[in-house]
Amino acid sequence: MAGRDYLGEFEHIIVLALMRLEERAYGVTVRQEIELRTQREVSVGAVYATLDRLETKGYVKSYRGDPTPERGGRSKRFFRVTAKGVTAVNRTQRALQSMTEGLDILEGYS
Amino acid sequence: MKSQPLSVQPPRLAFWLVNLFTIPDNAEAIMGDLLEEFSYVASKSGVAHARRWYWRQALKTIAHLIYSAYRIAPWSTASAVVGGFLLPGFVIRFLGFPERAIFAVLEKYQVPDKHFNTYVFFATTGIDIGLVIVYLWVGCVIALVARGREMAAAITLCLIFAGMDGVALFAFVASGHSLLRSLLPWMFADSFAILIGAAIVRSSRSARRIGSDDGLENPAL
Repeated sequence: MAGRDYLGEFEHIIVLALMRLEERAYGVTVRQEIELRTQREVSVGAVYATLDRLETKGYVKSYRGDPTPERGGRSKRFFRVTAKGVTAVNRTQRALQSMTEGLDILEGYS
Repeated sequence: MKSQPLSVQPPRLAFWLVNLFTIPDNAEAIMGDLLEEFSYVASKSGVAHARRWYWRQALKTIAHLIYSAYRIAPWSTASAVVGGFLLPGFVIRFLGFPERAIFAVLEKYQVPDKHFNTYVFFATTGIDIGLVIVYLWVGCVIALVARGREMAAAITLCLIFAGMDGVALFAFVASGHSLLRSLLPWMFADSFAILIGAAIVRSSRSARRIGSDDGLENPAL
């Protein structure tokens, strides 16, 4: 079957957060964006574990920023979604839409 | 997010633990992110709240890092754990360390005849100390093997041995024997020594890495 690479639930959320944040996407902003929009407490470790996995798959790329004093002189690691990542998001999104089409989820299954 | 340079510090132990469990490639970013958010939370909600937040984040992060170590490299991490599990048995049973070595030295210098109290000390506590050294060495070895996943392998092994000790202790007490409280610290010291050994290797690796990092990359995309 062609195009098997669907994103997992948290991977999907992370990639969408990166797309929203664009060039401001690094660990802190990604974590806060997810917490703000999903009302779900997320750890830095969970974010990086998923981002590493996405980078290995080629869906995101990372680069280092400059060190800053509020980070104790440590640099930020910024992330951006690759073309392959965008394709994977679209594919996953379409699959979800297709699966939910015609289902009255909120009323029928609450 | 706007935050000031660090005026308050996060809990030292939590900071050290996160650093210990973090994969070297991610250490700078994860530690920096936690520090940045800590100073933001401290300025917004107070230091006590920020410290609690940091501990919560640290523990969750460590749990995720251990899980991801097994997810990224399940075979090499598991192999290090299995090797570490078999290693003490090999050293203690086949090489006879520390028991055989201690008695050989004691006999050679005729300690039982000349200094009986010293002999008793080495024949009891000395062997216990020797065993802790063996487990400390095992911790170092598995940390050397499981590079980048040192602490994930070490904590798994530590929990396995501590669990076995706990079961043995329970069976011992359940079968009607009285508990010798003086033995308790030695029982769990072995498991703890594995963690210490791995932490020593991991810390020295981090120190060497920081020392060799003469500049930060900023590659263009």
